[in-house]
Amino acid sequence: MPEGTLCNKQTVDTKEYLNALLADKSGKQYYSEMEKLDVDTDKLWKSIKSTLRSRLRTWLEICAHCGMCADACFLYLANDRDPTQVPSYKIQSTLGEIVKRKGKVNNEFMRMVMDTAWSKCTCCCRCGSFCPFGIDMGIMFGYLRGLCFSQGFVPWELKIGSGMHRVYKAQMDVTVEDWVDTCEWMAEEYEDDWPGLAIPVDKENADIMYTVNAREPKHYPEDIAEAAILFHMAGENWTVPSKGWEETSLAMFAGDWGACKMQVEEVYGAMHRLKPKRMVVTECGHAYRATVIEGPYWAGLKDGRPPVESIHYVEWVAEALRTGKIKIDPAKKIKEPVTYQDSCNYIRNAGLKNVAREIMSYIAEDFREMTPNREHNFCCGGGGGFNGMGRYREQRNVGLKVKLDQILDTGAKLVISPCHNCWDAIRDMEEVYHAGIRWSFLKPLLIKMAIPPDHLKVEE
Amino acid sequence: MFKDILFGTSASPAGDYAARVAFELAGRFDAHLRLVHVLGVPSRGFSYLAEDVRTGEQVVIDDDYKAWVEEEIKTYYAKQLEKCNDYSIHVCVGHPHREILREARNSNPDLIVLGGPTEENEGSAYKKIVAGSTIQLVSKSALCPVLLVSRPAASFWGGISSVVFGADFSKASDAAFKFAKKVAASIPGCELHIFHAMDIGPVHTGLSLSQEEIEDKIREARKKIRHKYVANLEGFEKYSMEVWEGLPYVEIVKFAREKQADLIVMAYSTKDVDAENARLGSNMEQVIMRSTCPVISVNRKMAKN
Amino acid sequence: MYEFVTGPLAWLTFIVFFLGVVYRIVWYFRGLHWQMDRVAYNAHLKYGIKGAIRSIFLWLVPFGSVGWRSKPFMTILFFVFHIGLVVTPIFLQAHNILLRERWGFSLWTISDATADTLTILMIVAALFLVLRRIAYPEIRILTTAYDYLLLAISVAPFITGFIAAHHYSNYEFWLILHIICGEIMLVAIPFTKLSHSVLFFCSRAQLGMDFGIKRGGMKGTKFSW
Repeated sequence: MPEGTLCNKQTVDTKEYLNALLADKSGKQYYSEMEKLDVDTDKLWKSIKSTLRSRLRTWLEICAHCGMCADACFLYLANDRDPTQVPSYKIQSTLGEIVKRKGKVNNEFMRMVMDTAWSKCTCCCRCGSFCPFGIDMGIMFGYLRGLCFSQGFVPWELKIGSGMHRVYKAQMDVTVEDWVDTCEWMAEEYEDDWPGLAIPVDKENADIMYTVNAREPKHYPEDIAEAAILFHMAGENWTVPSKGWEETSLAMFAGDWGACKMQVEEVYGAMHRLKPKRMVVTECGHAYRATVIEGPYWAGLKDGRPPVESIHYVEWVAEALRTGKIKIDPAKKIKEPVTYQDSCNYIRNAGLKNVAREIMSYIAEDFREMTPNREHNFCCGGGGGFNGMGRYREQRNVGLKVKLDQILDTGAKLVISPCHNCWDAIRDMEEVYHAGIRWSFLKPLLIKMAIPPDHLKVEE
Repeated sequence: MFKDILFGTSASPAGDYAARVAFELAGRFDAHLRLVHVLGVPSRGFSYLAEDVRTGEQVVIDDDYKAWVEEEIKTYYAKQLEKCNDYSIHVCVGHPHREILREARNSNPDLIVLGGPTEENEGSAYKKIVAGSTIQLVSKSALCPVLLVSRPAASFWGGISSVVFGADFSKASDAAFKFAKKVAASIPGCELHIFHAMDIGPVHTGLSLSQEEIEDKIREARKKIRHKYVANLEGFEKYSMEVWEGLPYVEIVKFAREKQADLIVMAYSTKDVDAENARLGSNMEQVIMRSTCPVISVNRKMAKN
Repeated sequence: MYEFVTGPLAWLTFIVFFLGVVYRIVWYFRGLHWQMDRVAYNAHLKYGIKGAIRSIFLWLVPFGSVGWRSKPFMTILFFVFHIGLVVTPIFLQAHNILLRERWGFSLWTISDATADTLTILMIVAALFLVLRRIAYPEIRILTTAYDYLLLAISVAPFITGFIAAHHYSNYEFWLILHIICGEIMLVAIPFTKLSHSVLFFCSRAQLGMDFGIKRGGMKGTKFSW
């Protein structure tokens, strides 16, 4: 049974393996090994038999082939209505076919399945809300990714990503020491502007435990400082955990369920250790979905909820503005037309549509909705790992067009995007299509607009 | 005076003037020179691609690539490095201001040298992650003085015999004064010119002050200078003081020219780095772009040290 | 022959149909798994039921869901076809007379004219459903022979019934054919995709529970289907 040294059915559990993968430029060797990777058809069929239960079987079986899902898919629209981009076709020709053939598929087929699962679906689940039978193909593709992963057919960056979670308990090589040091650093850097600013690490029984995306400590720790400033301004009793601070899950994009479980248990462990009243997740969509919405199931929590009440950053912002913990200077509200990017992961798939509108009502004078919006919004074009995979760059860039048109149609040049993935996608959109748009998280905008309490005012 | 100098390099012509000053300073003070090159900005979400700032190409960053870039830097600065006996090269990936600050936090240099605002700094490679330019952001947060060189004229540097201190009476300005005095005092025969430019605002708006008001304010400023700075000269004698009115950055540059200044020391005291005005933003950046000598920025953090 | 198809064969059909359908429903709900499906069905049953009812109801009402409103042509075809398919056989006078004769009870009935109209509309809708499959590339790519077969199985009892009822030609032949077609359809339901007649409710209920519990329902957000 040929298994590559890089591309194989193993999970990445050691630094050595991880570094070997990283050293393989753009996954050249990895993908060439993949062409010879055997499909363990027995294992595949066995795992299907035990995990493909009535919900998925029924979805695969009763699809009436009515085509109502076609227009729901942004990739179908972005690719000039290419019939092979119809969600139903995409899932029937992959998962449907594997089931029909009782798992007896070959290498070439599996590579086609991989390409479909990661470059033709971002698991945004929009199609599910347009199917009369309620067939949610985003969920099925999530399941399919898991099958692909277990057979070793997974894009290079995501093999690495899930390995990062296994080795570092974070999507990037940020260690506990790096993280704690970054928190100290940010507090030092900003304490002159905000007297008393601190980022308390591992404080027990705080009201809020704040968790982030590893890219923040790694590349833009300003974001952590901004979060600290806003909590400080609002007078919150908050903390960050030294261990279990990472919310994201590239493992979820990869379909590595084992790593998903490890990652969320790290966060839940911090909850048990520090006993905060609530947890707040940074401005990231998939992180919230992974740790708050799906995570409890991976960790086997029967009531489907994390150990302590967990809210997304937008929920905290809405609450802080509503209760006056943070006061907005009316003169500093956003005057120009501004639009809001609904992240699929916390709007459609977690129900926070009204929270987003509430925030906009406090901070913007000319808020323009995209069409469609809220739970019917289109994916930014970079979800489900699409942003980060070199193999599918071109397909991703094509996919961005739908969101770009939506943004331009609003007439707004500023897009508020409280989601790392959407934020990246919109950034790349500007780089690829030069539309002249700007994008921002909520935090920097709020700091500019807020009236600092008297004790935080600094004389120059 | 300086034992450890951090030079943020782009290893390209844009940074040549700053490089000349950095190498010259390191030689003069026998300091360790740390060349920090931020080779690219990570892009594409969590991917391992970055855009190389010099070539503009999408590249996969790994140890090989970093080693290659390090070689490139050595080749680029071959001539200067020959004469430099104590240096190290640090190649990293990230947003330039952040990585320079990170390196500064680790190595604790006593001076950071940066090139001035250039088109390259704002080009496509550096898609803004936070508002403001690299020099603004580094100047704002560094724990040591930041020396900025923009114009080629500013880099032909014989030595320091005249230092202009641009005072604005802020807390950061106190620190800047201390630093300016220290530099002047450490060099035999060096003069220190304390200068304040009074902003009279845009003249054409018709809201300008009357001459009486201007003169009152000038008197007041002179008093402040005497009280705040001159009183703290601790026996240093080769100084002068001057208050001019006008557009601050123009007046400082004019004054520095008149005094044949070799160095301008200013306070970095803007709290908010404004996204909209990032490029031609602050007074400071205007001075850097216009001055014929290097400018050293000192921020409020140094007031504590 | 008539005695046979309306007697033992009918009984057999009803038994197979009924048991089959019950099996499907039981199999469906027994197959749901809180952890595999990642929906805490039992822990939050109340939210689940609320979500399920909304999800079914809004898709059962013509133009009740955003999906239906986004495709008006398809929606009209869909409802004309399904109303004809369900209402006609159950409330047809002739069927109810038979019901009273055999089992001693009957239901509300619709006039024969109404039944004819519904039948014709339903057949026309079926025709358009076929045309739709041929005309649109995004549906053509999904369509298989099986889809046409199922459509034929569904429409056959109506065509044959219509011909029989109007005595266009050999009445007895068409009547028996009609009964056999009807029985084929009923038997086909549990064994084919036609099982969606019950699984529609199951599947919609499941997704409704998903949204009602996990994806927003417990945040107090109603998903706008």
